[in-house]
Amino acid sequence: MSAAAAVHPFTSDLTIDELLLLEDVGFEPLELVLGASYFHIGYQSASYAQNQEILDLSEMMLLARQTAMAQIQGQAEALGADGVVGMRLEIEREGHHAEFSAIGTAVRRRAGDGAKFRDQRGRAFTCDLSGADFWGLVRGGFRPVALVHGVCVYHVAHQTLGGWFNSAGKNCEMPTFTQAMYDARELALARVQRDAASAGADSGIVGVEVREGHYGWHSHVIEFLAVGTAVSAIVDEAHELHAPARTVLSARDD
Amino acid sequence: MSQGTPQRPQTQRQALPQHAVERIQRSRNAQGQRFFTSDLSVKEFLLIRESGFECAGLVMGSSFYHVGYQRSDWSQNQEMTVLTQAMYQARELAMARMEEEAHELGSDGVIGVRLHVNRHSWGEDLIEFVAVGTAVYARDGSNWRAPSGMPFTSDLSGQDFWMLLKSGYRPISLVMGNCVYHVAHQSLRGWFKSVSQNQEMPNFTQALYDARELAMERLQYEAQLDGATGVVGTQIHESSHGWDAHVIEFFAIGTSVSPIAMKEAPPAPVLVMTVNE
Repeated sequence: MSAAAAVHPFTSDLTIDELLLLEDVGFEPLELVLGASYFHIGYQSASYAQNQEILDLSEMMLLARQTAMAQIQGQAEALGADGVVGMRLEIEREGHHAEFSAIGTAVRRRAGDGAKFRDQRGRAFTCDLSGADFWGLVRGGFRPVALVHGVCVYHVAHQTLGGWFNSAGKNCEMPTFTQAMYDARELALARVQRDAASAGADSGIVGVEVREGHYGWHSHVIEFLAVGTAVSAIVDEAHELHAPARTVLSARDD
Repeated sequence: MSQGTPQRPQTQRQALPQHAVERIQRSRNAQGQRFFTSDLSVKEFLLIRESGFECAGLVMGSSFYHVGYQRSDWSQNQEMTVLTQAMYQARELAMARMEEEAHELGSDGVIGVRLHVNRHSWGEDLIEFVAVGTAVYARDGSNWRAPSGMPFTSDLSGQDFWMLLKSGYRPISLVMGNCVYHVAHQSLRGWFKSVSQNQEMPNFTQALYDARELAMERLQYEAQLDGATGVVGTQIHESSHGWDAHVIEFFAIGTSVSPIAMKEAPPAPVLVMTVNE
């Protein structure tokens, strides 16, 4: 960019190793970027004896995260960054109010050819990869596209009294509960898949984690969150790949 | 089968819930191109590709189980067979569903399988078992499935999987064995005899010894059924799962392996000094 950027010192939460590895694949850190959104977590009543998704809450939890993410992307845009690495999403809850915050380090291609790392619409990429993982991915022939989400807030049906009598003192599976938890996780996973596809990723998603959370709801209401980094293959003949992996046995116990 | 080995529950092929089927169908686009989801780290992802495999998708299975009741004799060392069966059956169900998802995805196997035990505040006797892993398939189309015809399963990380293949072995299945044991309480007389003295407590030693051996024996039995040559990475977990303090579950889990024909000799170790702390 300009000379102003050259004298402006960068800020980042990267370790020395991460910084060196980023430099090695031609990226430089620009600035720590932050995003935050405040939401009131409401409650929607669900039928006592029914397994069902609580759509309002699912949408709200997704929107809150997307708002924080969008702010980060806006800041990265303003800095002229090509992407954000090491992004973390956190939720802090105080009663019915919750703060959704996102933090990461904006990075830019030194050579100025960052366009090939941006998505189809020219927006900066986002990912939760550490510097080392980012290096490994890029040298392995892939680029991160976006940090993708899938959310499902689900109400698990209560057991009926008859059902309780039937199962008391016996070994048996509880099909209603199994079905509910299974459904909710699958929905969250299907959505993270869809989010990746709409972000324009063509290979897949790495590092997907399915987390369960309660945010002051009734104990039968659970949020399932699937998060991961969507990746695409780098189509470039000149792209430098790393050497094939070699076995290294550590002589140290850890 | 030796005495005391419970019959391995015959787990039938499991039907998948509708949302699971939909998700699996959506992992291929209209052109039949695959799109994977995986919980592998970047390093694992790259190593899987280096060993000639590709990710097919994240697979999982779940089972919510009501654990029955069994009375234990206060002063008796004994296995709690009702609890043992419940804990085993529920894990098998979760695993079988996960395998079914992997089968539906058309994969050769599942790596990095983790088994979680969850408890919810809905009932004291309810336990949820979840099995999660990443399904993979061989790029060259070769068949890596277990002798049973289902995808292989293993709890190995991507790094371990790569190393195992390099050294001439392949995973067959995730094998497990468990034993829920009631450890007898000490009698009052025994307490008087041992107070202020250094001595072994043969009663307790024997109970814990027995329980661990039973869990290990069952794990070994499963591996033999699979026709494996051995089991790697066996871990034994102990947990009371919120039962009475004298009731403990010993749970052994590992990956059964068998040798494969090797194209090249296994790599020799190299001395590497890392600059990391």
